[in-house]
Amino acid sequence: MGVTCVSQMPVAEGKSVQQTVELLTRKLEMLGAEKQGTFCVDCETYHTAASTLGSQGQPGKLMYVMHNSEFPLSCFALFEGGPCLVADANFDVLMVKLKGFFQSAKASKIETRGTRYQYCDFLVKLGTVTMGPSARGISVEVEYGPCVVASDCWSLLLEFLQSFLGSHTPGAPAVFGSRHDVVYGPADTMVQYMELFNKIRKQQQVPVAGMR
Amino acid sequence: MADVLSVGVNLEAFAQAISAIQALRSSVSRVFDCLKDGMRNKETLEGREKAFIAHFQDNLHSVNRDLNELERLSNLVGKPSENHPLHNSGLLSLDPVQDKTPLYSQLLQAYKWSNKLQYHAGLASGLLNQQSLKRSANQMGVSAKRRPKAQPTTLVLPPQYVDDVISRIDRMFPEMSIHLSRPNGTSAMLLVTLGKVLKVIVVMRSLFIDRTIVKGYNENVYAEDGKLDIWSKSNYQVFQKVTDHATTALLHYQLPQMPDVVVRSFMMSPVWMRTMNSPFLGPVRGRGDLPWKMWSVPRDSRGCLAMEKRRLQAQQTGIKSQLSHFLLQG
Repeated sequence: MGVTCVSQMPVAEGKSVQQTVELLTRKLEMLGAEKQGTFCVDCETYHTAASTLGSQGQPGKLMYVMHNSEFPLSCFALFEGGPCLVADANFDVLMVKLKGFFQSAKASKIETRGTRYQYCDFLVKLGTVTMGPSARGISVEVEYGPCVVASDCWSLLLEFLQSFLGSHTPGAPAVFGSRHDVVYGPADTMVQYMELFNKIRKQQQVPVAGMR
Repeated sequence: MADVLSVGVNLEAFAQAISAIQALRSSVSRVFDCLKDGMRNKETLEGREKAFIAHFQDNLHSVNRDLNELERLSNLVGKPSENHPLHNSGLLSLDPVQDKTPLYSQLLQAYKWSNKLQYHAGLASGLLNQQSLKRSANQMGVSAKRRPKAQPTTLVLPPQYVDDVISRIDRMFPEMSIHLSRPNGTSAMLLVTLGKVLKVIVVMRSLFIDRTIVKGYNENVYAEDGKLDIWSKSNYQVFQKVTDHATTALLHYQLPQMPDVVVRSFMMSPVWMRTMNSPFLGPVRGRGDLPWKMWSVPRDSRGCLAMEKRRLQAQQTGIKSQLSHFLLQG
């Protein structure tokens, strides 16, 4: 795999999520991108069980367990800002056994599903982020296959993103800046998705609080 | 069909001519039989010779007679009609079972194809003669007889010497690592890894570079049997393009007297590209004098130019439709 950039596309004014996705799809197809099936990334949140917190009195950390259809045999476990563990897919079974330490947060499952497009050496994935039954946002993932060092091809990725996201082109993801000349891996993509999901969760909470 | 045939060809004479041919063949074979058997046993040597000569003469006479007969018949047979452009094969078109066996149409098709092929081959050879590849020093102006003599000096080099040249190049560039292996006989294969950008497989024949494939850093360069995979191309369009350019460069720039210079400058080119500019960034500047300028990744292969072109085309079609709309209304 190459270098990947995950970003959020804001929903166009006066349009639904579905309509905005369709707009982007049309733009991609105009460029000449080819449809290549679908993709899915999901994320489940676990928090440390109260029984284990106890004595130190420090707040419990959140752990995210994620799956990516691009790596169907793997499972990713991440802490916010912390390490990322890449395990086999049956890690989920292990999490059930660890119920005493990590408890699944209720209704926390968030996922993005959509279509995968190939354009020359670029791989574009447009997804609708859903939490429960409702669509919450749009995720755009762009991967440039031939390159493995993020700093080598960031400007190229940016140029490509500008071509169909226009003014909504994101800045360089945090994972790019922190490490120089290091080979980019699948875990870096998952960290970006985790950050995207967290951002979308927070966005949703703000209007709800305002209404009260 | 029989009516049509009888106009040009006398069928009876035809049958007779065939039997005459058979007779001629058998009489000719009798002559050779007689020669093969040689002289038969007779009391005296003279008698033996006489009998043999008489027998031989008889046979020759019969050959002569059969030949004359055949010539006479061949005049009777008459010439096939020549008004058809395809001569005898033109008769195939008269075959009533043509619907079942489309022989005639296939024949015409084949004829057209071969004509076209000849034409294109002529064009191609003309073009190729203009831009001959200079793989050997004395290709031009020297007779073909002398050429093979000059080659072995540079083609047959001891493997030790090749190893030395390669390891010297390996030490020259810290960014590049070269792994030399000889999986198939004495020919060396190099796996050149350049930083974290790309891998190059170079197939050598002595110190001549025979083939080169450029692949991404994260692509698999080994086949299932653990040997270097020298056949499959890169999955990425950028590196396919770079492979094309590298192949063009190595075919075009050859110094058969000094193969090591060629190898060294070939290895230098990617390193040079790497140090001058990041490979996936914009076009490399200031490379005018170097013959290896083809090495740089063209903007086109990254899809940006193509994108630009499409955008322009879309604009143009938009303008066109607006114009036609305007004209129609006017």
